[in-house]
Amino acid sequence: MQQILTTCPFCGVGCGIYLEAEVDRVLGAYPSVTHPANRGRICLRGWHVHELCITPARLRKPLLRKNGQLEEVEWEEAIRFVSERLESIRSRYGPAALAFLAGPRCTNEDAYILQKVARVVFGTNNVDHGYGAYTNTALEVLLRSLKVPASPAVIEDVGEADLLFIDQVDLSRQNPTVGGWVIRARESGTKVVAVSYRRDRITLQADIQLYPQPGTALWLYGAIAKVLWDRGFIDLEFLQKYCINADEVLRSVQQYDLLRAAEICDVPPQLIEEAATAYGKAKSALILCSTGGEARDPLDLHAVVNLALMRGHLGRKGAGLLVLTEHCNLQGVCDMGVLPGYLPGYTSVFEDEAMDRFQTLWGVRPPKKAGVTATDVFAGANSSGIRACWLMRFDPLILAGFSRAFEALRRMELLVVQEAFLSPIGKYAHVVFPLPAFGEEDGTYTSTERRVQRVRPVVFTSSVMPGWQLLTELAKRFGHRWAYSKPADVMEEIRQAVPFYSGIGYESLEHSFGRQWPCTQDRPGGTTRLFEDGLRERQFVMTPIKVPSIPAHPGPEYPFRLVFGQSLYFWHRDTYVNNSQVLLREHRVLLLDYPDGFVEINPTDAERLNIRDGRAIKISSPLQSVVTTARVTDEVRPGTVHVPFFVREVAEALWINGAEEIGTLSKPVFVKVEPCAE
Amino acid sequence: MRARLINRDDIVKLVRILMREYEVVAPFCSRGSDTVFDVVTEENIDKIQLHVRNPIYPPKRFVLPHVEQMFEFQMSEVGVSAIPTYNEKPRALFGIRSCDIAGIKHLDNFFLGREFVDPYYLRQRRNLFLVNVVCTEIGTDVGEYCFCLCADTGPAARDGFDLQLMDLGDVWMVVAGTERGSRYLDLEFMARGDDSHIKLRREILSRVRHQFFDKQTSWFSAAMRLITRLEVSESTWEKIGRRCLECGGCSFVCPTCSCFTVDDRRVSAGKAIRMRLWDSCALGGFTRMAGGFNPRKAVHDRRNRRFFHKLAYQFVLRDGSIGCVGCGRCAVVCHGAIGMPSVVEIIRRQELGSQD
Repeated sequence: MQQILTTCPFCGVGCGIYLEAEVDRVLGAYPSVTHPANRGRICLRGWHVHELCITPARLRKPLLRKNGQLEEVEWEEAIRFVSERLESIRSRYGPAALAFLAGPRCTNEDAYILQKVARVVFGTNNVDHGYGAYTNTALEVLLRSLKVPASPAVIEDVGEADLLFIDQVDLSRQNPTVGGWVIRARESGTKVVAVSYRRDRITLQADIQLYPQPGTALWLYGAIAKVLWDRGFIDLEFLQKYCINADEVLRSVQQYDLLRAAEICDVPPQLIEEAATAYGKAKSALILCSTGGEARDPLDLHAVVNLALMRGHLGRKGAGLLVLTEHCNLQGVCDMGVLPGYLPGYTSVFEDEAMDRFQTLWGVRPPKKAGVTATDVFAGANSSGIRACWLMRFDPLILAGFSRAFEALRRMELLVVQEAFLSPIGKYAHVVFPLPAFGEEDGTYTSTERRVQRVRPVVFTSSVMPGWQLLTELAKRFGHRWAYSKPADVMEEIRQAVPFYSGIGYESLEHSFGRQWPCTQDRPGGTTRLFEDGLRERQFVMTPIKVPSIPAHPGPEYPFRLVFGQSLYFWHRDTYVNNSQVLLREHRVLLLDYPDGFVEINPTDAERLNIRDGRAIKISSPLQSVVTTARVTDEVRPGTVHVPFFVREVAEALWINGAEEIGTLSKPVFVKVEPCAE
Repeated sequence: MRARLINRDDIVKLVRILMREYEVVAPFCSRGSDTVFDVVTEENIDKIQLHVRNPIYPPKRFVLPHVEQMFEFQMSEVGVSAIPTYNEKPRALFGIRSCDIAGIKHLDNFFLGREFVDPYYLRQRRNLFLVNVVCTEIGTDVGEYCFCLCADTGPAARDGFDLQLMDLGDVWMVVAGTERGSRYLDLEFMARGDDSHIKLRREILSRVRHQFFDKQTSWFSAAMRLITRLEVSESTWEKIGRRCLECGGCSFVCPTCSCFTVDDRRVSAGKAIRMRLWDSCALGGFTRMAGGFNPRKAVHDRRNRRFFHKLAYQFVLRDGSIGCVGCGRCAVVCHGAIGMPSVVEIIRRQELGSQD
């Protein structure tokens, strides 16, 4: 028996957990009591993570489609098939017809090698991490405004803050451990302000709860900024010294009117004022937001960053901005350059000097052209021209934004899937390569607080080739000999490719609980909080946000705002959840009551319209209508209809231009709702 | 009860002797100040830690595993045959604390003490040898959340162990709790003690008990009375329930929680296994009935169930002891800080209006 510390593979919190294992069997999982991110607390997913390691559903041999059926074959046969088909597609259509997409659960090592194969072996920047429709917005916003595409604050800041400002994220579902930090902080006297379009377990406990209409966040944040300005809470000295565009931002803030904003948001002006005052008065205020369980307009996030900058709290203990990632290695795959416009370390593909560096490191110059995104491949109007697609731990079919991915998938001449389990995508795959499951995998994840930590194997299945190894083998077939014999060797190269990882090696990760980047030769211990060592002048960039115009409303007969929600049911179709009995039961318990799916409306609306829980309901936009089942719950605010993203019929019926453009938090769809005779 | 003295350095010898008959599991230090129960080997035997924080992952897993294969079944033309897969490995838990001993006693009553005897539990339990260590060091043995004193389970177990070790400073006292345990008192490195050692034991225990008063304590009696008489208001339960994030952690770490679910898994054509896995009353899917009705749909209804079962007097009568051993693990793992001590405190303050 052994007790091995590893990192939870679910959300981005990066909880330290132990796996108990015996020779070839995982026996259980439990939390580390001293890990700085979770301190003995893990969520249901963590407590059941060992189920993943023991399910017989694990893939063990490659599958190759023969006569329409996936059949088990030897590794050599599958690799040969893939290499030949890739070569043929590249010679016919050029490298732009190939795309390499990774899920945010790949280890850093796997992700790094995947993008290297794409760029070095095939000469394409068509690499993306698949959750870009949500996340890349947040990363771009952070990169543009703070110059660092990651969270400046750390999780333990939640316990140090005087005030927590929660921006539109259901912490109880998405990052429950952080939700727990919030509850505990509140119990010890920290004030909590929550802005949300749903009442969730955490927002319900907030001292000040703001439930604006979906699509009105810019007015709300504009009004909060205006109150900060009026009451002299804005740290003008900080803005003048450290922020570009401060004057423009201050001018635009003065254009907002509290009463008008309150009316548009449908939130009492006193509450907005109270929230803003509490935020302005706090000695250390921490804003918590998400990199995007929900697709949002980048301006929404700029407004949040502006609020953080206005108080000048960055780099201070218990203050600033904590941006939470939804998946265990979302931060890491982005750091590794699994982005169409960035090489490892967020080097733009247009930066010549940096490209020289990569040419020296790789012996090949990556193309000076941004690649296609996962959204281009799967959500767009089939114009990406991709003929061969490599998916590593990524299944577009389980994501809200890609509910029409099957159209693109059917057109592929080659679809290679690397997965530990056969997920829905298997239906379209030509080849499926097994990957090590959690508990077998060796590598590193980077958590939401920039903590690079080990994922350690506790059982070994020699029959399954790790992702980096298979890709290295593939590279060899194309004449590239890379000398990696273990994940630690890949990390050695990552240290050279990514400047802020340069001090990270497997040896240093053996001590304590990983290292937080930037971790360099000068800072071998890593960096807890960003900006703590002082700031440079004009380091940050603020974004002026004009008072938005009122969105075109189709008329009073369409009074409801419909939003396709991801966060509450975020884990619902997750490959890991689906392979764990207790998790599957818990995450699907609502579907037992509503077997055909449901949309949610508030009890006051339901009563007025004579809509009953569990009964049919008709939703109509000016263009289309659809019939589905109502779930009547006060978790949603009056005037809104919330559609869990997996209820496909609704998404497809009300589809206009791709989900990321409609029905989002920033742009709801206006609909009418009526009961429906069954 | 018979007792002997043993030198600190000879404790390893005792472990070695146990290793001849048992797989010995003992506490070790891990990352940070984490502690774990792990199997003793020749490589790690010198690193056994008897004065450390009680490991968070409870030793109940050695009688009720987190995941356990119950049987294998084969389907053929003639029907279904099931072959049980019992675990009968002889195992010694070396360094199990008094609270966890009380937990195993509670589970014994549940799985073995009534009409139906659980054959899986039985086989693991009767092959288990328990070496209890008395908690004598405040700060390490007795942690921040310990309240065994209030649960009447520690710091020294009165029974339920095969052997009990207690640090008397210069030497350790070894007490035999069973016939099985008393065999080990005849080993050549066990020395006889005298009245001064018994006196010393009493003094140390008395000192440790008094040091608990700086720590978190739990006024069970008030909570038991209020819960048993249904005098805890709905709003108090709602307040408690709101803080639950439904992780199930409190049940998983609880030395007395015994709920499990079963799952059948196909292994190959015609062959499957039945597993049982820890489950928790915190979870909506656990309380939902097959017909679709969920008597405890609201989270606070599930939370109050936990405290009813642990503290209401009818359950104490039925189960033989209160369902809390004072180990404090639930207080560590709970996201919402609604472990047993704080719930008892919330109830006491709300319902009795006590401010202190």
